[in-house]
Amino acid sequence: MIFAIFTLSLFLQSVSSEGSQHMQAGIKAHQEGHFEEAISEFRKATQSDPNLVQAFLDLGEEYSRMHEYSAAIPPLKRAVELSPDLDEAQQQLGYALLSAGFTEEAIPHLERVHAVEALGVAQMEVGRYQEAIANFSAALEKRPNDPDLLYYLGRSAGMLSKRAIDALVQAYPDSARSHQAMAENYFVLRQMPQAEHEFQDALRQRPDIPRVHLELGLVYAGSSQWDKAEQEFRAECKLQPGSAEASYRLGDALLQEGKVREARTELERANRLRPDMPETLYALGKAASLEGAFDPAEKAWTRLLEVEKEGSLAAQAHFGLAGIYRKQGKPEKAAAEMQEFQRLQSANSARESAPR
Amino acid sequence: MERRAARGCFNRRDFLRLSGFAAAAPIFDVKLPRGLDFTLQNSPTSQKYLIETMPGGVALFDYNNDGLLDMFFVNGGRLASPMALPEQFDRSNPRYWNRLYRQNKDGSFTDVTKSAGLANAGASNYGMGVAVGDYDNDGYPDLFITNYGRNILYRNNGDGTFTDVTTKAGVAGGGWSESAGFFDFDNDGHLDLFVTRYMEWDTQHSKTCGGAWRTYCPPGEFPRTTNLLYRNRGDGTFEDVSEKSGIAAKKGRGLGVSFADYDNDGFTDIFVANDGIQQYLFHNNGNGTFTECGLESGAALTADGQPLSGMGTVFQDYDNDGMPDILVTALPRQIYGLYHNDGQGQFSSHSLESGLGVLTAGSAGWGVGLEDLDNDGWKDLLVAQSHVLDNVEAIDHSLHYLELPLLALNHNGRFEPADSGITSPIAGRGLAFGDLNNDGWIDAVITVLGGPPVVLMNRGGNQHWLTITLRGTRSNRDGLGARVRVNGQTRYATTAGSYLSANDKRLHFGLGSAKTASIEITWPSGIRQALSDVRADQFLEVREPEHS
Repeated sequence: MIFAIFTLSLFLQSVSSEGSQHMQAGIKAHQEGHFEEAISEFRKATQSDPNLVQAFLDLGEEYSRMHEYSAAIPPLKRAVELSPDLDEAQQQLGYALLSAGFTEEAIPHLERVHAVEALGVAQMEVGRYQEAIANFSAALEKRPNDPDLLYYLGRSAGMLSKRAIDALVQAYPDSARSHQAMAENYFVLRQMPQAEHEFQDALRQRPDIPRVHLELGLVYAGSSQWDKAEQEFRAECKLQPGSAEASYRLGDALLQEGKVREARTELERANRLRPDMPETLYALGKAASLEGAFDPAEKAWTRLLEVEKEGSLAAQAHFGLAGIYRKQGKPEKAAAEMQEFQRLQSANSARESAPR
Repeated sequence: MERRAARGCFNRRDFLRLSGFAAAAPIFDVKLPRGLDFTLQNSPTSQKYLIETMPGGVALFDYNNDGLLDMFFVNGGRLASPMALPEQFDRSNPRYWNRLYRQNKDGSFTDVTKSAGLANAGASNYGMGVAVGDYDNDGYPDLFITNYGRNILYRNNGDGTFTDVTTKAGVAGGGWSESAGFFDFDNDGHLDLFVTRYMEWDTQHSKTCGGAWRTYCPPGEFPRTTNLLYRNRGDGTFEDVSEKSGIAAKKGRGLGVSFADYDNDGFTDIFVANDGIQQYLFHNNGNGTFTECGLESGAALTADGQPLSGMGTVFQDYDNDGMPDILVTALPRQIYGLYHNDGQGQFSSHSLESGLGVLTAGSAGWGVGLEDLDNDGWKDLLVAQSHVLDNVEAIDHSLHYLELPLLALNHNGRFEPADSGITSPIAGRGLAFGDLNNDGWIDAVITVLGGPPVVLMNRGGNQHWLTITLRGTRSNRDGLGARVRVNGQTRYATTAGSYLSANDKRLHFGLGSAKTASIEITWPSGIRQALSDVRADQFLEVREPEHS
């Protein structure tokens, strides 16, 4: 690339014979992997031709390649000074400034060339999270599963969330929303007694905030206090009758309490609200099976396996099917399901124990 | 408890208030009878040796045939930190002795360990559990002690003393043995012996887990091992048939063991509670071999196909349908496994329908029993509870090392919480049942890590009862393995089950308001016997007829 740019620049610029010789020597040294020598030649070229843009650009790039960003910045700045419209110089300067920690200074250069990924990182670093999120989202559209982009998007979103919550807690420390936010934070940190306390404080002020009953229910479910969990999930369902998640959680709590009939009714409702959610289908099959309703159980688990062929829920569905086929006196079908269960169990175990 | 309540955790008071049982009187009086001065020395160390958290067993049995139940406790031993080789546990120090307490007529106990010849538990043994059975059919119950190390068989001499006959009998085993039980797998009239073993572990290959929390490692960190089956030759010696019988073909992580003839083919089957892997159901093929069929029978995993951390187990009929069911205690977040016997050799998980989801999902259970504690004709549930990890609160705020035992009364097959009378949480492990004061109401004893046992004396009531002692003639002398039906209830005669412990051999039945009982006995010999119009509220000895 250096060579191509050099050729083009030679065509556009008038270069002294000495400068040209140093440039060619620098390119040759670079191609042969003699980077120190390349730097030396490019530097000599800048000295013999102080207006030779390409020499400054190549010198800066060579430094950047060697991670000497502080050294790369002056020649790149000179390149930009000499040729402000040269995108390559703007981009290289932006990268070098960002890499050397001069984030604010890097941003205009990156903006100018629409280097969205580096620009997002820079914006994130200076607290411009919304812009960073927009840039990462744009970059992800081109590379949907890029792990770095996903990380940066998640981090930016998290930081934006934290800033908003900090502002909330600072401005209205005793508000219901503050307590909710604190509770959610404790929940993530698995500090459940504190999470429970904060959720309860939130509900005391505003019992009608969506999701708080649901989240408090999850706290209770996490410690197997199913009767309390049921109470909270039920309150959430009353508040948000269209919430499939609340309905599923209530059905699951009822199932854990052994209230099988009620559980099945609720899980059927959850499945109507959001059809084919694998968790709901599994629990629905289990509730039906416990009631001895083998056909509906088979239907729910078979549907689950159409939706989700691998993974732990699929394994559990095969295990459940094996159980009902045994009870129905269908040993061959039971054996086949058990075989699938064991296959998936092995695959899941291998996946969990695989080195990362 | 107050500290936990302030943090918003679930406590006993909440539990009782929510369950509506707050006003009900406790089932038991919690007592420490005079003369009972045992302390279970598990010797916890910073090395977090797994054996520290596993003992110890208790047996309720009448060693001197005076009609009063006596108590035997297995002690742990002293652990150095770290342990050096050869491993020595200071068992000659009285502090670390196993203990035999003879019950006196006034309900007090006298320590007779030394005079009975039970003081020497072996310097290289760290104690675990106990099994009781009359292996030589002489009318006096013998003791089998499991250890981390060498197991010990003590023959009851019938004069208040015991003799260590381990070497002659050939039952020393080795490694880390846990629960054991006597049963007659080949119906030859001589009690055989099954011993669970936990894992391949020793103090030199121990390690800690939990990172900064530094705690005991889960069993998956160590290799599996085999269980042991010994056939009683009838001449005072046993043959190790672990390989020949097929038992050793399945390596596992055995903790509890229980026996019953689940498929009614006349041969006693074996259930082994395994820790962290599938449970094992060994079907007795009737020809000296066993086939492990846990998965095929539906008794190996939870309803969701997950393995349980199985610890204690009981194999009795909880729903009065005449077929023995299996209950397995486990760790929190798992729900104790209740496998209902559906007939045709099939089981299905009834943990949720029976109410165990609510009662047990936050607890770790060890010793367990299904006994009719209120004499209403339904077997109730009592479980010794406590987490494995003594620092579990630091890791998970919602869990507790010390726990109250679980008492749940059986109402037509569904368990409802009740007040045991115990007010302080404990580190419960072993649990044995028996009628200590012969009042017709079942009592219980729980062993406690690092502390004295908890003795639960049943407060009694107005319901009727019947307690049967079997006297085998063609079958083994105590009739272990017999199926006894009384007024529609079924019990399988056994002293084994629970965790590391041995129950009173007598078969207790609550009769509710019934003043008479009909009895049907199927002896291990195959002989069937029926008695009708039997008066309630009595201790009845039933002798096996010579012929059907």
